[in-house]
Amino acid sequence: MILPFSIVNPLTRIEVLRQLPQPGKVLVRERDIVESFQLVGEYTPPPQFAIVNISRELAVPPKKIARYLNVAVGDAVEEGAVLASRGGFGGRACRAPFSGTVTGSGRGRLLLEAPSRPVQLSALLPGTVARILPGEGAVIQAWGTFIQGVWGNGKEVFGVLRVVARGARQSLRAKKLDASLQGAIIVGGAGLDEEALEQAAEVQVGGIIVGGVSPQLMPRLLAVPFPVVVIDGVGKVSMSEVVFKLLRSLEGREVALSGIMPDLKRPVWSRLGNVERPFVAVPMPSQSGAAVDRNAPLILGSRVRALRQPYMGMSGVVVEIPSGLTLLETGARRACVKVEFEGETALVPHANLELLL
Amino acid sequence: MADEQTIESILVADCGTVNTNLLLLERVADSYRFVAQAEALTTIGPPWNDVSEGVVHALRDLERVTGRKFHSNGRVIVPREGLTGVDAFVVILSAPEPLHVVLAGLVPEMSLESAHRAAAAIYASIEAVLCREGGLRSPEETWARTVRDLAPDVVLLVGGVDGGASRPVMELADAIALGSSMLDSERRPRLVYAGNAKLRPMVTKLLGEIATVDVVDNVRPTVDTERLAPTQQLLEQIYIEQRLYKLPGVDTLSAWSRLPLLPTATAFGRVVEYLWHREGRQDRGVLGIDVGAASITIAACLQGELALSVHSQKGSVYGALGWVEEHGIGVLQQWLPEEADADQVLAVLYNRTLKPWTVPQQLLELWVEQAVVREMLRGAVQMAAPTWNGNIGNTMPSFDPILVSGGSLVHMPRPGQVLLTLLDGLEPTGISTVLLDPNRVAPALGAVAGIKPLAATSALDAGTLVSLGTVISPVGKARSGETILQMRITYEDSSVLNVEARYGELEIWPLLPGQRATVELKPNRRFDIGLGGPGRGGKVQVIGGLVGLVVDARGRPLVLPDDPEPRRHRLQRWIWDVGG
Repeated sequence: MILPFSIVNPLTRIEVLRQLPQPGKVLVRERDIVESFQLVGEYTPPPQFAIVNISRELAVPPKKIARYLNVAVGDAVEEGAVLASRGGFGGRACRAPFSGTVTGSGRGRLLLEAPSRPVQLSALLPGTVARILPGEGAVIQAWGTFIQGVWGNGKEVFGVLRVVARGARQSLRAKKLDASLQGAIIVGGAGLDEEALEQAAEVQVGGIIVGGVSPQLMPRLLAVPFPVVVIDGVGKVSMSEVVFKLLRSLEGREVALSGIMPDLKRPVWSRLGNVERPFVAVPMPSQSGAAVDRNAPLILGSRVRALRQPYMGMSGVVVEIPSGLTLLETGARRACVKVEFEGETALVPHANLELLL
Repeated sequence: MADEQTIESILVADCGTVNTNLLLLERVADSYRFVAQAEALTTIGPPWNDVSEGVVHALRDLERVTGRKFHSNGRVIVPREGLTGVDAFVVILSAPEPLHVVLAGLVPEMSLESAHRAAAAIYASIEAVLCREGGLRSPEETWARTVRDLAPDVVLLVGGVDGGASRPVMELADAIALGSSMLDSERRPRLVYAGNAKLRPMVTKLLGEIATVDVVDNVRPTVDTERLAPTQQLLEQIYIEQRLYKLPGVDTLSAWSRLPLLPTATAFGRVVEYLWHREGRQDRGVLGIDVGAASITIAACLQGELALSVHSQKGSVYGALGWVEEHGIGVLQQWLPEEADADQVLAVLYNRTLKPWTVPQQLLELWVEQAVVREMLRGAVQMAAPTWNGNIGNTMPSFDPILVSGGSLVHMPRPGQVLLTLLDGLEPTGISTVLLDPNRVAPALGAVAGIKPLAATSALDAGTLVSLGTVISPVGKARSGETILQMRITYEDSSVLNVEARYGELEIWPLLPGQRATVELKPNRRFDIGLGGPGRGGKVQVIGGLVGLVVDARGRPLVLPDDPEPRRHRLQRWIWDVGG
């Protein structure tokens, strides 16, 4: 049986898609070696524009505005420049709301346009350009640790990892966050509260990784300037032990943290654009790992993580795959497997498990 | 594909947003039966990005279940050779993203309302509405900016009765042209013009140089008439072209099938239409409800006319967070039979949205998911009701039967929970048989009807749908506990049960699946049970089901107590009444 999966792997081939939100220009070539800060692409958003209603502003009929115009189609104008004016008693003037070019006129109005600034996209992860998506972006490949999360606040950074929580079940505390963590990507265990978030913003951390997060804190997380990545689930969820141990082993290393994810209101479809999941990627010099098998079946000994309460976030190993259905607390009968979590064995529906690859 | 005469086995792939369902129909003696089913995750997203992979996963499961071979050399085996392969392979899809539509028109209560109704017949998400209302200082700039920033798939421009207003429609067309012209040519929306017929040449001339323009009949040719079909047909065609056939991996399915791909909602509508003709009762409508993760489809057939209403991004999973943002978490908490704070409820919604294929393991999570279905269904019905032919007033017309489909409803652990959720979300009136589609066969049969009508009808008639029971829902007001309906139930074995229903209660009497009974109904003079007006009773034949004979005497509209404790107590009792 094919299960969904999350990659939690200490040494594997990492492939990160760097995709422009709109078609643009790709600035790298296949097999280029790139640094995290290096630009891989840029696009120019549609021009800024304004329709200036001369007829209404000057209170003259559309057919008569020609005599009041100070500019013609094709003219470049500065912000505040007078586009048209009408003298005399109660004289009025129409000014350019921004610097740009007059690109059209008609029905008593002028169209003013100004080119937008290009938006640039960096590689985020140091590695090799494995593939180019013409006009869209590039796939950066590296070897190292890769951990996929479930939720992120849309931001990304490259920085040094610091593990602040003592254990996977411990929350991030404000008093543990001091100026020495400025610019660092900090690892909390179970989650963080509002006070810790404020302190993290105060000391200007580079990013935060936690196991779970309160849903009521999520709007605040969207507003902070640094990335926040949730690894296991929303609510009171501890970080899974396997992830915490892995992150602790990476203390002091440079990591790429991405909180970019699909819009939760239309997630499946925005994933069509290949926006995958939030992740932590730690490039390593070694190239001895293997790519994960994305069609791995569920078998005895598979590493899995539970996706719903009461076991949400807990990781373990499949020890039995019973035939038949198991009665759940809800009254539903479901195909389940027996999982040995840390210190506990439980029957969990197939549907509520994912493979850890 | 084998010709229609020789089609003996049909495989249908129903690719939903979360799950892909495979159904095998075969000829058994003189009729067709649904014989096997398999389900796998839909694989339109990473890491697969190929819808056909989910179908292959489900095919492997189907092969394991049946011990037969359906897939070889990377394709479905068509035609059948002995027990290998099938005679026809049919694909229906609700997995693609809805068409992004911007509506532009003059009067919200007139042409724009018609435009909304036209777009509701397909998987569409209305991204914005451009109209002069709202006191915009520079409406043209706002409209152009909206088109440019949203870059929708389609702009549906309506407005003006035929021969009526010109200038305001052309102002909208102007702004749409400006907004579109600022987009790269491949991102420009397609313009569908369904407004004042007199302006067709001007609109085509203005926009034709910038984008593709389709002209159809005015949705509101006069103030009193509405003509939606041409616009609906065109939008469906655009959806099929731009979404169905552009889904990653769909070309593989298309090569296996050789039959046109069909939107699931369209297929579901066909089944509801068939049921109406099968019932053959001009005075009663047939209602179909399909609640999925990403959308809710409501198909109502009244007087032979089908009204299809698709509520995209309003499904029980992907619609929930948006719904809470708009209406507050309290609307969900009111349906919970136990106390839960906002954090707990929101956490369930977020985790379900992040992992939509998962199932609740704890009762609280189950109640939250069912609360979402209730609310989403209420919202969908409220929006769909105005499109029902001859619908007047605030109460729902009588529908019989009501067909219940869609994973979010049929996967509930107990049949009573499905029925209770339906009653709370739909608030039916009069007398209705409720039919459950436990294997999600109904939309598949709608698709099969396109190639082998006999197979679809005989499978439907052969017990594919399971009755939950007959529900009698009196409409009227009384004091809590007052007797509002007296019933004399005569079973097939001539045993008789005399019972009463009291206002505010949900009453259930035994009537097993397949059993029939004659019920003599005497409502209180203030209560209407759909037999000709308040106080009018009569004798009706009813059929049993998994829940039984149900009288929903809780009143219409259903009002829950404000006080949390009595409310939870009542909700617990209703859950208990329907079997937990």
